[in-house]
Amino acid sequence: MTLSRREMLQATAAAMALPLVKVPLPVSQALKFFTPAEFAVVDELSDMIIPTDPQSGGARAAGVAAFIDGRLAESFEPEQPQRWRAGVKAVEDLSREMSGTAFMESTAEQRLAVLTRMAAAESDPKTDAEKFFGEVKGATIQAYYTSKIGIHDDQQYKGNVYQTGDYAGYDAT
Amino acid sequence: MTLIRFKASQEQDVDLSRTYDAVVVGSGAAGGMAAHVLTSQGMKVLLLEAGKKIPIEQELRSMEWPYDHPRRGDAPPGYHAISFNEYNVRQPPYAKGSAFKHVFSYVGGWGSADYVKNILVDEKDHPYSGTKYAWVRARLLGGKTNIWGRLALRLSDYDFKGKTHDGYGEDWPISYADIQPYYDKVDLYLGISGHKENLPHLPDSLFQRPNKLTGSEVKLRKSLATMGRTLTPYRAGVTTDGVKHNKYRSKCFGRGACNRRAGGCDIHAAFDSPTGLIYPAMDTGNLTLRTNSIAHEVLVDPHTGKARGISFVDAQNHRTYEAKAKVVVLAASTLESARLLQLSKSRQYPNGIGNSSGHVGHNFCEHVMGPGVTGLVKEMVGAPPTLDDGKPGGFYVPRFRNLQDKQPGFVRGYGFEGSSGFSIFPGSAWGTPGFGGQFKKSVREHAGAFISMGGFGEVLARYENYMDLDPELKDAWGIPVLRFHYEFSDNEKKMCEDMATTAREMFEQAGVEVVGVDKNILTEGWSIHELGTARMGTDPKTSVLNQFQQSHDVKNLFVVDGSSHVSASCQNPTWTIMALAWRSCEHLADEFKRGNL
Repeated sequence: MTLSRREMLQATAAAMALPLVKVPLPVSQALKFFTPAEFAVVDELSDMIIPTDPQSGGARAAGVAAFIDGRLAESFEPEQPQRWRAGVKAVEDLSREMSGTAFMESTAEQRLAVLTRMAAAESDPKTDAEKFFGEVKGATIQAYYTSKIGIHDDQQYKGNVYQTGDYAGYDAT
Repeated sequence: MTLIRFKASQEQDVDLSRTYDAVVVGSGAAGGMAAHVLTSQGMKVLLLEAGKKIPIEQELRSMEWPYDHPRRGDAPPGYHAISFNEYNVRQPPYAKGSAFKHVFSYVGGWGSADYVKNILVDEKDHPYSGTKYAWVRARLLGGKTNIWGRLALRLSDYDFKGKTHDGYGEDWPISYADIQPYYDKVDLYLGISGHKENLPHLPDSLFQRPNKLTGSEVKLRKSLATMGRTLTPYRAGVTTDGVKHNKYRSKCFGRGACNRRAGGCDIHAAFDSPTGLIYPAMDTGNLTLRTNSIAHEVLVDPHTGKARGISFVDAQNHRTYEAKAKVVVLAASTLESARLLQLSKSRQYPNGIGNSSGHVGHNFCEHVMGPGVTGLVKEMVGAPPTLDDGKPGGFYVPRFRNLQDKQPGFVRGYGFEGSSGFSIFPGSAWGTPGFGGQFKKSVREHAGAFISMGGFGEVLARYENYMDLDPELKDAWGIPVLRFHYEFSDNEKKMCEDMATTAREMFEQAGVEVVGVDKNILTEGWSIHELGTARMGTDPKTSVLNQFQQSHDVKNLFVVDGSSHVSASCQNPTWTIMALAWRSCEHLADEFKRGNL
């Protein structure tokens, strides 16, 4: 699915309103698989897929990239980490092709353009970057909605509690 | 909150020099029930379980949050679950040549494999061959009852007298009136949750308080009522009010843990055989348990032709032992009991014990799954989150086909299991396109607005669907394995087409926006409701067991699990397995006391 033109304009406007922030390399983060540069790209992509909004923190706050890093480091199948390494490179290649700069060196607007291009063929991905979008998005969904922020702040999940009185819900009448 | 846990009775010393009154093979729903009934009748029973006894509460950890688990529920690296695609493009044995350290059936792929990695069998040790089949096995004390789906339904005379009704197959040698008192006993002894509906084709149980419905389910229930159909709260084999006579089980607190995983309940509100049946049986002093005991032959007395015990291999030291008993009760599961009968070849029984009819392994039946529908309840979009998943299951839509009507394309019927509302993970995120703030908001607003249901249809029992022993392939203990000769017929395929059509119609009629209709049929075996490899009947030429699950050929041999079922019906079988086993074991004990066995 592609974003509609209207949604695209809205998203771009929102991105442009933000100051260009250079994401600091995660020196405090003990990386297990990614290089610092790769981690920065995955961290940024995940947070663009699920950003912070008034309700809840986004993928960066939820530590999505660190979770992915840990899983890839212990992956039993060598193909999976290879796919991610190649995927990040595909993002870098696309970024250089589109704006002449590395993904993390480009502006928020340029990064959004790259991700929008990656997501353009979501239901039928063809290029390496398009295929990598599905990989990053899937991992982000899995990690974010199983995180504390995802479950409690964003979804405000009410379950996994002892119901000592009546059960919640409606009677079959 | 803290629940008081009672330590289970300890395994007793097994004295293999003595002759027990009965040896029971298998400790799942059927074997547990046999142990309960026979020990309560004063018989001295040895229970053999092929698997291990594990501290199940430590495995299930029902309330653990995903983020408190290092892999968010996934198993450690090297574990692999067979996917739908693998089942269909490959042939069994599925783990052959796999680079993975451990291979599980598809149930290990539900995103919570770490909680079942010691419950499901490793396909590498337990191969099988033949036609494609998704065979889910759990080898441990209690078997599959440790993770079962909990839907606990009765059969009716539409099932027991199916041939009389539509001419297909064989009638059961019992009617509903014969088994009804035993369904009642199971209800009262184990506890069952549900709502009375007074349906002739789905008799009510003696219910404890029901689970509640979501707003979406109430809407669908009301609409279905105008079509003469029913949506009822999940009839769960779960004690919602408690069972005061059982100190090993708690009542259900609606934690919903059973639905977030492959199953399992660490407070044992959901029925499982160890806490529901076996530990209380051990407390009688009449039950001896031996785990890690893989039965591979029913031993025969060459003079009398009667069964004299069981030969088994110790799973850990690989040595072979004999357990002697006056009565042999098989409850190893539909497929394992059929395997064991076929393995038990002797001079008297060259085709396997109890198999003079040649029907052992044949007439295999189960439930076909796959077709279903997902819908969006528009008025629920944007609704504030509510506690919707704190229950053992969602809803059930009982069979409505071929009761009063006669469908042109197929005989028998199907029911639907479904669920709706908010859950711990917003599954709709997978199908929500795009990214960014819009994506996130959309996932949030739609998380509680979906409702879905999938069909469970009766697979007809047919002689040509069968399992025999593979002449070459053996399991990790050197025991020949099963070879499948099984596939769905045209009746199942036509039925599945109808399932998809009626599922859509029911949602549309209720004003639920249909967002997806699934027409694909899942791999044979997917329902984990395998039945009918040693069917009961009145004619020893066409059936293996009589109405008391007693071998026509060998009077002190009983097979009390799902293999005895004559037809699959479309209702989940566990409650019927236990009611039948109760009835048969009462008869067995009576006959034993009279000296007739």
